[in-house]
Amino acid sequence: MRQRSAQLRRSVRKEWVLIGMNHAFSSYHPAVAFAFIVSAAALSMAAMHPVYVAFSLAGALATSAAVRGMRQTVRSLAWVLPMCAIMACANPLFSASGSTELFRVAGRAVYAESLVYGLCSGGMFASVFLWFSSYARCMNSENSLALLGNAAPTVSLMASQVLRLVPQFVSRGREISAVQDAASAAAPAGRKDEARGRFRVVSTLMEWGMEDGIVRTDAMRARGYDCGVRRTTYKRCRFGGEDRMLMACILIGAAANAVLIAIACAHHAFYPTMTPLHFQWGYAAYAAYLAIPPILKAKEWWQWRLSR
Amino acid sequence: MAFIEVEDYSFAYPADEGRTASAEPTQVLRDVRFHVEEGDFCILVGGTGCGKTTLLRSLKPELAPVGTCEGALRIMGRDMVRAGVRMQAFSPEESASEIGYVMQDPAAQIVCDTVWHELAFGLENLGMPQDVMRRRVAEVAHFFGIEPWVRRDTESLSGGQQQLVNLAAVLALRPRLLLLDEPTAQLDPHARKQFLFMLSRVNKELGITVVMATHAPEEAAGYATCLVELEPLGESVSRERAIERLTERWDDRRAALSSAPVLVALRDAYVRYDRQSPWVLRGVDMAVREGSVHALVGGNGCGKSTLLKAMAGVVRLQRGRLDNASAHSQALLPQDPKTLFVCDTVAEELHEWSARCGYGVAEEAATLARFGLADCAERHPYDLSGGQQQKLALAKLLLTGARLLFLDEPTKGLDPASCAETVRIVRALAEAGHTVVLVTHDLDFALVAADEVSMLFDGEPACTEFVSDFFENNLVYVPNAASRLFGEV
Repeated sequence: MRQRSAQLRRSVRKEWVLIGMNHAFSSYHPAVAFAFIVSAAALSMAAMHPVYVAFSLAGALATSAAVRGMRQTVRSLAWVLPMCAIMACANPLFSASGSTELFRVAGRAVYAESLVYGLCSGGMFASVFLWFSSYARCMNSENSLALLGNAAPTVSLMASQVLRLVPQFVSRGREISAVQDAASAAAPAGRKDEARGRFRVVSTLMEWGMEDGIVRTDAMRARGYDCGVRRTTYKRCRFGGEDRMLMACILIGAAANAVLIAIACAHHAFYPTMTPLHFQWGYAAYAAYLAIPPILKAKEWWQWRLSR
Repeated sequence: MAFIEVEDYSFAYPADEGRTASAEPTQVLRDVRFHVEEGDFCILVGGTGCGKTTLLRSLKPELAPVGTCEGALRIMGRDMVRAGVRMQAFSPEESASEIGYVMQDPAAQIVCDTVWHELAFGLENLGMPQDVMRRRVAEVAHFFGIEPWVRRDTESLSGGQQQLVNLAAVLALRPRLLLLDEPTAQLDPHARKQFLFMLSRVNKELGITVVMATHAPEEAAGYATCLVELEPLGESVSRERAIERLTERWDDRRAALSSAPVLVALRDAYVRYDRQSPWVLRGVDMAVREGSVHALVGGNGCGKSTLLKAMAGVVRLQRGRLDNASAHSQALLPQDPKTLFVCDTVAEELHEWSARCGYGVAEEAATLARFGLADCAERHPYDLSGGQQQKLALAKLLLTGARLLFLDEPTKGLDPASCAETVRIVRALAEAGHTVVLVTHDLDFALVAADEVSMLFDGEPACTEFVSDFFENNLVYVPNAASRLFGEV
């Protein structure tokens, strides 16, 4: 019984992953998630500044936790932290610049500045990686199509067809090779013959696919495809007032932070001596911007908390 | 004035250059004449290749076949064909929305990846505004009970569900006439009944005129209001008569098989496809006797096909043991015979394994003749009818000289005549000492073809008995009381 319910839970969770429910942005139009994650990733890449990198990494982790869940985020840390460390160590070995000598390794000086630079680039790399993971979670094929649909109806239809055909091809390919394997009475004579048999799988698949294509074309024409009317696109997601608000916050926040980051980076130098770090209001602005997903998640948590 | 008027309609496909032997046009329909009133549920019957599809396609402007026609066709009072000339009676948009068309293959006619997108596809094509689309998709999804799985991928649905989606997608366009070309041929009995029930609701509750081509009119008989026979149907024979005729053979077989050794044995077999997924087979014990025709029957998803594949050794057992004395000389006929076709002509197809199995041109020619495929030796396998494809696939497997054959749904989509042909082939194989294990939904077929029957339930065999005992001891799981297949055999 317990095994059953665990199984059920697992399948439910799998379903969530599939349809992209239950994450910080799931109640918003996919364009909102897209705008936030892409702009945040772009800002993280542009901001080569110790404090900003620290914020980017923290923000990327927080977003990942809000979007992908705690467990998966912790799991990806196992990958992210060593990468930071490697880049931090590698940079001083390759670029021997800076002014504060820490120690020498095999006759080469290791400077504090280049170590910090390495740490920053490692952190930036890690945050970009985390942004992409969050992106993949929020933007499944259906959501990506919802974005595309407005701009390019034909492309979105084609993408939808491809998405349908790929799993069909894979399952048919498996079926065909299973049938070949099962026909032991016609077992291939030698390896060359066997290789040719495998190639035949591909040709069968192609021919079968083309035959299906004829039927599908008929089915499309029967339902008025290419009947001379301009196609419209069924939008599963509406872009409502809340979406507009959040989108405006994101776009304004991204634009403002882009300016602030440009100024901060222009006044910051790693070499030969690192510019001392002072508090700037830009940090607060960036932190506020990156806090959007955790705030959404917290809001949701709070709502459920109250209703219980 | 009737809703559909077909008057002395004849149709011929133009002469085919090169590929087939016929240099003259092929006449498919000759002086067909019938009327359908608005709100009718009309069944169009006839065997394979009698022109059902051609006639239905002639009624749908986008799919109208190219060739020479005579007579007249009128739909909703508009001339589609007048005095042998095809007219443009409907604008493309009108035709798309007023006349719906559903084809045989559930999966091949689905265009989009998700159910909701598929339902919206036709509406998108007609440039409907957003709000209209939402309402219509919602309406049809509700009518067909699709709502719980409207976000699923179309590829992950069962055949019956896919065909319901196809029907719903057409209905979202609000047609006045629905044309269906053997929509249930690829479905299992349960899905077939469900589909026909839904179709009758569409007809009765929404008042949409339905014209459905089928080779099994018995199933829709309760819903239909008129019947058009393009070709006289074979005679139906009662089960008792069939059993009478089979008794002699059964007695012989029972005696012969009681001493036959076991050829394939499964012991305590457990199979699942994924670590997380539930068991498909759990603790199966199964023995197939040498020289017998062993049928595996059972409901949907009871693991019949998986059991067949497990016996053929293409699905790995997680637990248990498979002993197959004929493992080196076996072949598997998949559900879809297209899986086996790799060549451009029927003759080449049969030649493909000649080097591997050591048969010659003489055997190939003999097989072609034996399976009645000699006339279409130069045709592409995909151009054959479903029954012919099935025969070709069987012929190809038999040429290998396999002693043990696994057949997965060998009668799927076949009309009674082709089905009877399959029965004869299977019986001839058994007479020649081959062993056949087959999976089927068709209990009529199991009754006339099998020696032993195993019923599967919930991943294990509920019982295995000699065919006559099996059906005698069942209360509900029995063949039809009368069937045209019994008449053909």
